[in-house]
Order: sequence, then structure tokens, then C-alpha cells
Amino acid sequence: MRNFNRLIVNEWLKMSRKKSFLIPFLIVLVLPLLVGYVSHTFSTQTPEPGGAFMKDSLLPSGIGQIVTILAVIGTAGMVAKEYSLGTIKFLLIRARSRTVILGSKYMTALLYGFTLTLVTLISGFTAEMIWFADGIQSLDVQMILMSLLYGLVYTAVYVTFGFMMGILTTSTGATIGITMFVIMLDKIMIFRDFYKYMLFPNMNLSVYQDGGAPLPGMTLSFSSIVLSVYTLLFLLISFTVFRRRDVA
Amino acid sequence: MNQETTVQHHSAAVLQMKGVSKIIKGKAIVDKLSFEIRKGEIVGLLGPNGAGKTTTIRMMTGLIKMSEGDVIVNGYSMREHFNSAIAHIGAIIENPEFYPYMTGLENLRQYQRMTDQLEPGRIDEVVRLVGLQDAMNKKVKAYSLGMRQRLGIAQALLHRPKLLILDEPTNGLDPAGIREMREYMRTIAEVEGISILISSHMLAEIEQICHRAVVIQNGRLITVSELGTARRTDEHVILTLRVDSVEAAVVVAEQQEGVELMEAEPEIRQIRVKMMDSRVPDFVKALGARGVGLYRISEDKQSLEEEFLKWTGGNQIA
Repeated sequence: MRNFNRLIVNEWLKMSRKKSFLIPFLIVLVLPLLVGYVSHTFSTQTPEPGGAFMKDSLLPSGIGQIVTILAVIGTAGMVAKEYSLGTIKFLLIRARSRTVILGSKYMTALLYGFTLTLVTLISGFTAEMIWFADGIQSLDVQMILMSLLYGLVYTAVYVTFGFMMGILTTSTGATIGITMFVIMLDKIMIFRDFYKYMLFPNMNLSVYQDGGAPLPGMTLSFSSIVLSVYTLLFLLISFTVFRRRDVA
Repeated sequence: MNQETTVQHHSAAVLQMKGVSKIIKGKAIVDKLSFEIRKGEIVGLLGPNGAGKTTTIRMMTGLIKMSEGDVIVNGYSMREHFNSAIAHIGAIIENPEFYPYMTGLENLRQYQRMTDQLEPGRIDEVVRLVGLQDAMNKKVKAYSLGMRQRLGIAQALLHRPKLLILDEPTNGLDPAGIREMREYMRTIAEVEGISILISSHMLAEIEQICHRAVVIQNGRLITVSELGTARRTDEHVILTLRVDSVEAAVVVAEQQEGVELMEAEPEIRQIRVKMMDSRVPDFVKALGARGVGLYRISEDKQSLEEEFLKWTGGNQIA
């Protein structure tokens, strides 16, 4: 376990020693405050007190989507960059199996996504307290935690997808391009029965909150299962390809 | 000759290649390659471009999967116990590539964290060995190729391997860098007491530092040649002599038993003769007795290059 933690330290340093590392954190720090200020000052329809603003800043339909996009951009190069820099050779000739090395990379990718979400949460909370809430006790904590969970799931699934694309394409640019395209696609709804088994309509779990469903026959547990199956499939492909591929 | 040299002292072998093949789309890039590297030995892996040197080295280090055979490192099978086998290998494959935005020290720490039980002073030790003390806190993107090579060696030695594998180590280095590299390799072999495998298509380089050369072509083993061993006295040698009088020297050469005159060049006052190694002292004595003044005597060594061309069938491009 100690060995695995040291690999995670390695991966985190590979990201954090870059000059651009702080930019996404600054974005998710400033964005909720900016949106909060603008909607408080200029909008006639202010969000209800009780945490609605905070909730929106976590959900995939709001600022949460920016968090996902930043997390994908930040982690797209985790495997691809090792290939393009050529450092993959030194990385794989250590007394660590490829499975363990890739596992540490995946854990770090999730950690990065969660850290971005945490910063968003803090910034959203600050904006909520300054402009919208009537004191901390008025917040609907359960609603906020559920939104946090939905936001994290959305981010985790796309980070996993991007992680797989990074391994398949070994190109940071292609990984970001393809994953962004897919994130755009998930807005499109095809009203056919087969579509509910696709990844996209299941991505945003918050749609079930008001008792609705994107397509007939879909429920929260149905979507959770579909997302789990896809995530496992992405990981299976990632690890199989990474373990078998010759480094030429 | 290959038979004798390849099959001995299994106990002392640091690395054994056992019928290793790489087959891609039905074509054998490396074909049932077997040889071994003994303790403390510097071995050259020699072959023309495209002979399969890099593929061989990548299979030794687990970057490419073997189609057949196995590599045994210090008794551990690369297939069965990858972690234990690779722990005894340090390698630089093609150019040493590091994370350019990190310092030399940060890069080495990366590999330190991937190693079991490493004493704290080890990084300082290898850095001193390659003489990079002053550059450790500089970012690697500011390093010259020579410095990256040295950092590459530091990285390879960090975990005290038994075998160091260097793939084309002098590629892209200037003559001073090549010389420096050669000195490092000698130092490492002595100080750290480890075996070294160097792949190269530069014959002179191999000739200068290696104890043995493994020659491959089209993925097959052509020969294993001992380099720089003491000459046996029952072998023929070819000598070039510079004398004051070519005519007199020719007479001596023709009269002397067991000496074959190959060439006489009066313009540059040289003759070339061939004889058994054991007959050389008598021949020199005879020249002296006839009053032939001798300015120089040198051996026409068949260089590794000629042997290499002989083994690999001349200038055939593989």
C-alpha cells in the first residue's frame, strides 16, 4: 500500500509541477463567485435561499460541467504525455507491474477531479453565504450533498472515458477533442427505446430529483447500473490495452 | 567457436537469453536468440541497422512482449517474475527522456519512489558518480544531450542493478561526449562492479570497451566474438616493417624459413610479411644480422570492422 501511495505522489507531482497546474483551480474558484455576484446584482430572478445556488454550481447542468471539462483536460495527458515525452520507457522498466502503474494513474485522475469539485464546493458555498443564504442553518444540506454526488459521478465517468481515450490514442490533443465532443453529444436526446442503454441520457443523475425521467422506463437505479457497466467497460479496455501494448 | 563461448558458467550468468523470438505478422524480427552475459562483463550487441538490436533490448526490459523463449535475469524469469527480474536491470533505451519541467533531482526522486528499500544517500552517490552535482536543481529542459545522458545513467544505476543495458548510448553525442560516455562506462563497471550490455552499430566503439561482441543480423545470432584477448602464438600475424633498405629486407624475408613476403613498397620503404607469431623474434634477429635498419614494426590487425563485414556478408543492407 505504501508503494502504491508513493506512485500516486509521483503522478500528482507530474501534474502539479507544471506551470499551468493552478489555472483550472483558479477558474473553479472564481467562476462561482463571479456567477453569484452577477446573478445577485443584475438578475431580477435570484435563486431561492436555502442552497439552490450552491446546488446549481455543482450540477452537470451548471458550473459542474466546467469542472468536468477541466478535469478531463487536466488528466488527458496522464498516459498520452508519457508516450509523447518518451518517459514511458523509464516508467515501465521499474519493479512495478503495468497494472499497478496504471492503477495509480487512474486513482490520481479521480483525485484531481475530486479536488477540483472540492474547490468548486468551497467557492460555491462562499458565494451562497455572501449573496443568497439566510444564515448557514437555512441550507438544505441533503440536497447539496446529493448534488455533490451527482456532480462527482458525472466527472468520474467522463474522466474514466478520457483516461481510456488517452490510452487508446496516446495523444493528449485527440483525447481532449474526442471527450469534449462526447460531452457535447450528451445533450442530444434521441427518443427511441434503445437510446436509454446508451451512456449519454444516463449521465446526469439529477434529472430524477423531481420525479422525472429522460426517457420512459428509466429510473435512478437503472441509470446507476448503466453508468457502472460503462465505467467498468472503459477500465477493462484501458487496463487490457495498456498491459498488452508493446512500447516501440 | 560460438559454441564454446556461449555455453559456460551458467551460475555466473547475470542474464540469459533463451531462444527469444519476436514474431510480428508471421515475420520473425528476432529469431530464437540465445546468448548470455556474465558477471562484470562488458558485452557489445552489434548488428547493422534493422538487425533487431532495439527489439532485443526492449524484450530484455519488458517493454515488448516476447513471442517465444524467456529472459532469465539473476535467476528470475522475465515472464514469470517480472518485478524480481527487472529489479536487477538498469537501462537507457534510445535517448534518455525525462520530465522536462522538473529538475534533475525531482526526476530522480520519481524513480526512487518506484524502488523498494533505497537508502537515503543513494541519489547523491549516483549524482556524484556521473558528476551532475551542480545541475541537480536545474530543470531538465535546460540540460544538454550529454547531461541528459548522464542523468540517464544516474537513473539506471539508482537501484543498484546487476546489469546495465545501454541502447546506442553515444547516438547524437559529439566526440567529446562519446569519450566521456566511454569513461563513465569503464568507471561504472569498476566502481559498481556490474555487467554492461551496449548495443551499437558503431564498431569502433564496441571494440574499444567491450570484452565480447554478440553479432546479430536479421534477428539471428551470427557469432559471439571475444575481443582484446591475448593472441595465441600458433596464429599467423601480418606485420608491416619500415626499413632503411627494402631490397635487403626482401632478401632476408625470402631466405627466412616460415616467412611469407606479401608486399614490398620501395617508395615508402615498407614491406609486409606474414608468419607464425612464434617466428617473429627469429625474423627480427635475422634482419639485424644482415644489417637491415628497422624503423618501425607494426601489426596489421584485422579490425573488428573487417570481421563484422565478413560475418554479416559484406555491405548487404538488411
